[in-house]
Amino acid sequence: MPTELPYAADAEVSLSYDELEVLRLQYEKEVEAGHVTIQTKFNYAWGLVKSPVSEDQVEGVRLLQEIYRSEPARRRECLYYLALGHYKMGNYDDAKKFNGLLLEKEPSNLQAHSLQTLVDQRLARDGYIGMALAGGAAAIGTILLAGLIRRATRSK
Amino acid sequence: MPPAENSPINVKLLLIGNSSVGKSSLLLRFSDAQWLPEDESSATIGVDFRVHKMNVNGKKVKLSIWDTAGQERFRTITSSYYRGAQGIILVYDVANRDSFDALPRWYSELETYVSSSVVKILVGNKVDKEFSRQVSTTEGQQFAQRMNSLFVEASAKTSVGVKEAFEEVVSKIIDTPELWASVGDKGAKTPKRSDATSATGGMPGNIDLSADQSTQADGGCGC
Repeated sequence: MPTELPYAADAEVSLSYDELEVLRLQYEKEVEAGHVTIQTKFNYAWGLVKSPVSEDQVEGVRLLQEIYRSEPARRRECLYYLALGHYKMGNYDDAKKFNGLLLEKEPSNLQAHSLQTLVDQRLARDGYIGMALAGGAAAIGTILLAGLIRRATRSK
Repeated sequence: MPPAENSPINVKLLLIGNSSVGKSSLLLRFSDAQWLPEDESSATIGVDFRVHKMNVNGKKVKLSIWDTAGQERFRTITSSYYRGAQGIILVYDVANRDSFDALPRWYSELETYVSSSVVKILVGNKVDKEFSRQVSTTEGQQFAQRMNSLFVEASAKTSVGVKEAFEEVVSKIIDTPELWASVGDKGAKTPKRSDATSATGGMPGNIDLSADQSTQADGGCGC
């Protein structure tokens, strides 16, 4: 029996308020002490990206970008969580871009493939909605136009 | 007993163990009957997830399997997924002594995060590497017995023992009434917890997410 795909575990479940607090307090403690370890920063960024609050997601993505730049050894997970963060925020093009960079390096990464499918599904859905909106607008335009023409012909 | 007769039983499993012992490969073999060579498969980032439906002793079971990253730097992330697990699959590589020697640490992590009634199975993976074996079957068996765990040797590559490992843990879960006591209390209740660093062996930067906030000074204001 095949597995139900796709799925991105970290996109689905958020941490509890208290759990995220643990990560935030640790991060702020280190910020105050003047030395933030990459591990603490990464943990906090991960917790933020998982959050349902959009300000948290934005902050998480910002931290991940900093880690990506400063820590080459952590790039693969940064790319993955950057893609995930953008996916959650609805920035599907950015999500695709970061996930694409990961897939370039690891063409057979199953997690990246799974996330790619999710992003593509959303993009397709948005595409349909866009078409539906355009279609609806066209229909309304036709009705209006028909009305105008009718009025114009009547007034003759 | 698990609830209901006709609707599928939901079971949550967690795969843990050192990096590169083959946790993801075991899952891929089990759920998709596939095998990815080592150089093509990459280390799991954080956690991966799969759903798999199966029949065990005539019962329909829907398995949610959480495949955690073995790398140290994901320990905080993976620890957040222990909650609610009814079964734990601990994996080591029979051709890698270190992965076997690391098991006590994984068991102490379990002690922190899950209740003692949770079903554990120890899986010695990569028996296809018989020529470079570093842990004997007897040794694995004895250790599993001491840790009150089921035991099986397997190979994700040749698929030996893989299905059996999953089936054994699931049927033991079904036969463990404590795991079905009440909804919302699925095995993960009141884990023992001494202090924030015990679970992760005090690795810097790895935090027990469930650490008691009240022990920390100035835990934020409730305003």
